[in-house]
Amino acid sequence: MKRLKFSKEKCIGCQLCAQVCSGMKEGAYIPSKARIDIETYYDNGNLKYKDSYCILCGICAKACPVQCITLGEYLTVDWSRCIGCGTCQAKCPKKVIKIIDEKAYICDTCQGNPTCVQICPQHALTFE
Amino acid sequence: MTMLGYKNCVLRVDLTMKGATMEPLRMDWAEKYIGSKGLAIKYLYEELKPGIDALGPENKLMFTNGPFTGTPVPCSGKLSVAAKSPATGTINDCSIGGHAGIQIKYAGYDAIIFEGKLKEPGYVLIEDGKVAFKDASDLWGLGSHEAEKILADRYGHDYSVLSIGPAGENLVTMSCINSDYYRQAGRGGIGAVMGSKNLKAIVVRGTGGVEVPNIVEATKRIIEIMQQDVLQEDNTFVFDYGTTAFLEACNDGGILPVNNFQDATDERWVEYNGDVLLQGKKGKRGCGSCGLGCGNFLQIGDAICEGPEYESIAVAGPNAGVRDPEAIVKFNQVADNMGLDTISAGDVIIWAMEMTEKGIHDFGIRFGEADKMIQYLELMAKREGVGADLALGVKACAAKYGGEDFAMHVKGLEYPQYEPRGSWGMSLAYAVSDRGACHMRAYAPNVEVFAAAVPPYTAEGKGQMVYELAESNAVKFSLCICDFWGTLNYETMAELLTIVTGKTWTVEEMGEVGRRVINVARAFNQREGFNRKDDTMPKRLAKEALKSGAAAGQSIPQEAFEDMLDQYYDVLGWDRNGMMPDEMICQL
Repeated sequence: MKRLKFSKEKCIGCQLCAQVCSGMKEGAYIPSKARIDIETYYDNGNLKYKDSYCILCGICAKACPVQCITLGEYLTVDWSRCIGCGTCQAKCPKKVIKIIDEKAYICDTCQGNPTCVQICPQHALTFE
Repeated sequence: MTMLGYKNCVLRVDLTMKGATMEPLRMDWAEKYIGSKGLAIKYLYEELKPGIDALGPENKLMFTNGPFTGTPVPCSGKLSVAAKSPATGTINDCSIGGHAGIQIKYAGYDAIIFEGKLKEPGYVLIEDGKVAFKDASDLWGLGSHEAEKILADRYGHDYSVLSIGPAGENLVTMSCINSDYYRQAGRGGIGAVMGSKNLKAIVVRGTGGVEVPNIVEATKRIIEIMQQDVLQEDNTFVFDYGTTAFLEACNDGGILPVNNFQDATDERWVEYNGDVLLQGKKGKRGCGSCGLGCGNFLQIGDAICEGPEYESIAVAGPNAGVRDPEAIVKFNQVADNMGLDTISAGDVIIWAMEMTEKGIHDFGIRFGEADKMIQYLELMAKREGVGADLALGVKACAAKYGGEDFAMHVKGLEYPQYEPRGSWGMSLAYAVSDRGACHMRAYAPNVEVFAAAVPPYTAEGKGQMVYELAESNAVKFSLCICDFWGTLNYETMAELLTIVTGKTWTVEEMGEVGRRVINVARAFNQREGFNRKDDTMPKRLAKEALKSGAAAGQSIPQEAFEDMLDQYYDVLGWDRNGMMPDEMICQL
């Protein structure tokens, strides 16, 4: 199974990943709704990294009380059954799942061809 | 028509009354000036009364992004900051990187205009549609970095901070605005305009987004442009070296200034070049939406900065007779924290070094005295001791103490670190730039020295050459795109603007926007009384020939300089006094 991988030494903190993610999935460039959140910032004279991206661990699928999340080559959410309880969000170790309007928004790696990887200018994000 | 890409909203903040209103963007102006640089200058041209005090409440401080801001259009994360300049009296638009421009866009605004003056020091907190006025008595007097850290701790790292240091608070006319610690709107005393409004900082967070037509197709095309155009070797050198790469090129070309522009080559340049500085690299950082990532976060000894940029290396290095990399980085760090523009602050210090060495006036500092150079920054920011004089800038200091022949400035804005005697077009570019000596308006060395496409030591053809460079940058910066996307041409600009706005833009219109932006800036300055008499070159460049390097023996005869001015005015259709005719002003 191919997964997203992140190399922080290469990241320049451009947030293009979240922009294109929301563009492809939400119809607007709106990183607050993106299914990836990789940022860098300075803190106390050091460069820090925030790296929320799906590692396809499947914990969300196991935790879902209504079994609406399926892990195959990528994650799929059946929104007709999702009750927006937030269990998946709470359990996600990478803090990447968002609950918006009572539905779980989870990265599906653009069904095996992640747009975030395509735009990442310094190849900090890879899919392998 | 309303174009997508924009938020169609301007936030107008009345600091005197502590109120904020939203109004539609002047879309008719956006169609002529696009955004960012051009739009800011147009707004200020229309809204500022002629002759106002740049440090009075009637000046306005304007932040503008553009239609690309917040989209994945590469290198579009810049933000323009504009006002009438207290250093020059001209229009002054600066460009700052980081993430603040994108936050402003996501908060819902194409522009924010600050008017009036807070009664007490404060900061403004903008969270999407909410605007709050906060007390800054605990921040006033602190360095810019210290203030940003307190605000980041208070609100979190999801917020962007734009702040000033003591120099801005004390109305020093070479003060800057900082963001993301190491990014600056640097020149023309833009920080003093903020300080004159008692505005220590702006804290902004946006959670909205940007809509464009056919977003899936648009995204795919933008990715292609990123891969095929942006990420090619002509641009990607900035990822590896940042602007430290220019050091070798400038030294080889004989345009690296030494000892306050007395010479233009330094055989010791390898002591402080990129290879040395980058040994201290701790990480990489670019601006939002960047593809290139020029920022090198590094530490040498106790000194930390992101950069240092070529300008800061040159002015605090060879031009100050200093070769210690740690001192150069420390100079950069202290200047940023004090809220001082490294170029102008450096230039006035190196002028003082020459004044002292020549025995004209003893400023207590000589070439090579790195520790004092760094100490003087704080004195200047606080207007204490010798700093009280130097904070006036090199033009005012030379009027007071002499040394005008080697006071390196145009219109009171100090010289960037490209020596024009080795690149004659640069003397014209500095002279006619809309805000005094600026290297970002038309970058002649790229053509005359690095590419060697045009003979550097002649006036011939330089009016047209500088105009073409200026036109291209004027539209590029009105699109809010970073200078480092060097391969960007009008075809790609027009294609991207069409993709993002949904309105069809042509290649011809890109050039027309560039010319219009140059003209509206000139119209602003003309209204303030500027004309040919102010488009000048420091006397040193005509009177003294360079002694060493590739351009050894070169000076710029005054007649050659005047010839270049004539050519430039002719290209633009201005008269020989550099004045724009009324019928051109009416068309702006």
